[in-house]
Amino acid sequence: MRERVNRVFGAASALLDRSRRPSVVDAALLLAVAAAAIGLVRLGHRSGGGLRAAVEIDLSVAALPRYALYSLLRGVAAYALSLAFSIGYGYWAAKDRRAERVLVPLLDVLQSIPVLGFMPGLVLALVAAFPRSSVGLELAAILMIFTGQAWNMTFSFYRSVGSVPKELSEVATWGRFSAWQRFRAVELPAAAIGLVWNSMMSMAGGWFFLMVSEAFVLGDRDFRLPGIGAYMSVAVQRGDGGAMVASVVAMALLVVLLDQLVWRPLVAWSERFRLDEGGGALPARSWVYDLLRRSRLGAALRGRRRPPRPPRPAPRAVAAALSVASPAAFLLLLGVLGAGGLRLVHLLRAESVSAWVGVGRETAITLGRVLASVALATLWAVPAGVAIGRSPRLARVLQPAVQVVASFPAPMLFPAVVLGLRAAGVGLGAGSVLLMTLATQWYVLFNVIAGASAVPADLEEASRAYRLGRWQRFRALYLPAVFPYLVTGWVTAAGGAWNASIVSEYVAIGKDTLVAPGIGAAISRAAAEARLADLAAAVTVMAVTVVVFNRLVWRPLGRIAEERFSVQR
Amino acid sequence: MATNGPLCELRKVVVEFPQPHGPARRVLEDVDLEVRAGEVLALIGPSGCGKSTLLRVLAGLLAPTRGEVRFRGAPLRGVNPAVGFMFQGAALFPWMTVARNVTEVLRAAGTSPAEIPARTERVLRLVGLAEVADAYPRELSGGMKQRVGTARALSLEPELLFMDEPFSQVDALTAEALRAEILDIWAAADRHPSAVVLVSHDIPEVVYMADRIVVFDANPGRVRAVIDDPLPRPRDYRSPGLTQLVDRLHDVITGMEMPDVPAAGAPVEALPDASAGEVVGLVEYLDARGGREDVFRIAAETDSRFDRTINAVNAAELLDLVDTPRRAVVLAPLGQRFVRAPDMERRAIWRERLLGLGLFRQVQEAIARSPAGRVERDFVLELIAIAAPREDFEAVFERFVSWARYGRLFVYDDAAQELAAP
Repeated sequence: MRERVNRVFGAASALLDRSRRPSVVDAALLLAVAAAAIGLVRLGHRSGGGLRAAVEIDLSVAALPRYALYSLLRGVAAYALSLAFSIGYGYWAAKDRRAERVLVPLLDVLQSIPVLGFMPGLVLALVAAFPRSSVGLELAAILMIFTGQAWNMTFSFYRSVGSVPKELSEVATWGRFSAWQRFRAVELPAAAIGLVWNSMMSMAGGWFFLMVSEAFVLGDRDFRLPGIGAYMSVAVQRGDGGAMVASVVAMALLVVLLDQLVWRPLVAWSERFRLDEGGGALPARSWVYDLLRRSRLGAALRGRRRPPRPPRPAPRAVAAALSVASPAAFLLLLGVLGAGGLRLVHLLRAESVSAWVGVGRETAITLGRVLASVALATLWAVPAGVAIGRSPRLARVLQPAVQVVASFPAPMLFPAVVLGLRAAGVGLGAGSVLLMTLATQWYVLFNVIAGASAVPADLEEASRAYRLGRWQRFRALYLPAVFPYLVTGWVTAAGGAWNASIVSEYVAIGKDTLVAPGIGAAISRAAAEARLADLAAAVTVMAVTVVVFNRLVWRPLGRIAEERFSVQR
Repeated sequence: MATNGPLCELRKVVVEFPQPHGPARRVLEDVDLEVRAGEVLALIGPSGCGKSTLLRVLAGLLAPTRGEVRFRGAPLRGVNPAVGFMFQGAALFPWMTVARNVTEVLRAAGTSPAEIPARTERVLRLVGLAEVADAYPRELSGGMKQRVGTARALSLEPELLFMDEPFSQVDALTAEALRAEILDIWAAADRHPSAVVLVSHDIPEVVYMADRIVVFDANPGRVRAVIDDPLPRPRDYRSPGLTQLVDRLHDVITGMEMPDVPAAGAPVEALPDASAGEVVGLVEYLDARGGREDVFRIAAETDSRFDRTINAVNAAELLDLVDTPRRAVVLAPLGQRFVRAPDMERRAIWRERLLGLGLFRQVQEAIARSPAGRVERDFVLELIAIAAPREDFEAVFERFVSWARYGRLFVYDDAAQELAAP
């Protein structure tokens, strides 16, 4: 440990020595680190400052940067947690055949539980654990953001570890790599690209429920944490239009900054972990990454990796410990699942038959809305996506832009849309379909763009050589070729739409609460009124419906799409 | 420590891979083999004969289903640390530099950190790659990648160097250079590695490289012959000794893969791994060359692997389109009629010949018997499993469909997984 400290210290002082004229980039980097440190300290300081269940939110624009920083730090903390969880859970599922059979379906279920399903449990437990400070509330918010981030990253990591090319994993076996070396040198790099892309999506998923995570009502208690989400919530509650606009702008800035300063550079950097060489995809570019690579700090960071570390004796003891730990952890997991299941059953027994019938009916209504919103998104996104994807120039510019737009949490726009709809005389029943579309159309769009830009050049040429008309070309070439991508888009969009139903079937603006009957509204209302049995019933039925629908509709559809319409053969 | 016993030994090794339905596929059956100190041993045989699997068993990368693996007389447990392994596709980590690909392995072996850079440099210089140490694999040509693979395999100074078709993915001239380099390294005075085991499907290559050649047969993989190659080194591809040995190997392989006396008519035959297109192509090829040609010459001239060519010949023979006296392939009278006939008639001949085979006849009868006029894929898979219990039946089924389709005998509905009359 001391050796490492010395080395880092040595590298840092060597750096200061060498760079008599530190570049602007280096200065900016140091500033950013300092700002983050100050923010963390203040957040920590504030968390310890006594019990304040409902923090007063300052709606002045001047307060926004501070709130944005707090929200960002929560997002980052949740992301760190998600990353650790993904790697741990994914690795376990990929390595332990027995645990895999439980872990993977469990992940499927977790993915389909909306954030409000986790909310009461987290909040009640954590607030009770830290009665004297807002640490419990902070942790609850971070964990709620986590539930919007972790699952797809976990799936991605699990799949990557399971699909390391056979020869590469044989090299590790032949070279007698320790489990840690195999993880560090083979499995983690092989998973890097998937992990980076999914991290980007996860961050967006975490922002989606920021308003709910930072400001929520549970029964007669009103919880609020300083942050952009709470700022927006309060602005909506008070009907302060200016503050709403300000927070939307701040959020948009935050999303764009994260994209430019974090995700693009990461995507560009992760290109080196590509397993297939060459490949048709455009190389990802990032100006920040290029700058960083040229900066002295970047060089120092790269240089630090050089010195080889002393070899560790093959840790047989560690391997042995792991082989005991895995079954033990598996038993523990089964125990927790069993206990949780029993409690759930106990909770659900209180529900009357008529309540179940009601939940079933509401689920059916919401299912209809989800499908309608996906259809609506498809209607415009397929032609638009094909048009963008077919032009390499447009695709290069617009595809990253669409990804940024998709990262913006749509619920922040809902109040404005709802007000507009009300003015136009459209009720929330139909309006909520539009809100869901607003939240999830981008998934359809960017998958279609990806599909359209992957149409093989020879098929494109053939369709021109035989002078297929515009419509015929669309029907005979583009539609089938993008179909597998479209299905992927549908699955993601439908998943998002189920989640979005919670905030689009139940919208509180000022003193009014608009409700469109459906399972999302039922969940929102049960949470707000702290009717935990009703909440559990509604969340369970929704999760089961999502999982069953995935198994019976999306998965077979995806298989057909791959078999019949895949152009990569 | 015994010096005159074999380095590695396999005794009665059986390897089976489970299949989704039906019995496990037997890849290797009762293999006995030894690798002696100081020799270059080559394993050759048609694809699917399990030679790569065998190499992995010898290296301890794969545990045999039954049988014993020994190294220096003691049972081998886990990976053999004395083996350097070269993979078919080089198998370099794309995210590591050339040097790092080597050091990673040195580190895993517990080499002291002070020694690693010097050893890495030495082994890279040995294969002529010292100046690209900091390049990434994607910047290198196929031949250079395989050289890095060689460097990595040699970095641990192994007693045994195992090579799994190492030159099959580089162009012919580069392969030639790599072969010579490997032999030079092997022949160097300090003799590290002392023995080389090479898996290949290239007959001249193994005759050029090996001291002993083990010929494998497929389905299941078995040792059919072990041939000594005593030619003096350095060797010359054109020397009479080498051409004679190549010729002898041709005879051994044809005697094994194209028996003059066909097996007694089984109720259901295994179908050789060739498409209808390849069989028709072979018949056309023969017709254009006077109706007779040596099978290895066909392979050489059509630039295909000998096992593919032999499969097409066997398929054509099964349909009575050709005869195979020893190594020659001769157009049979039916083949001559076939090649002159217009398309419709060709398909009629083909159909008629298919119905001479038990498998196709049984399926046709089953379709005729069934009220709906169709049979399920699983029914056919079962017939195949009975005929060739150790083969990959799904692959055989695909061949079955391809042959039937050419003869317009059945149509296959992929979605419903059913066969019907056209």
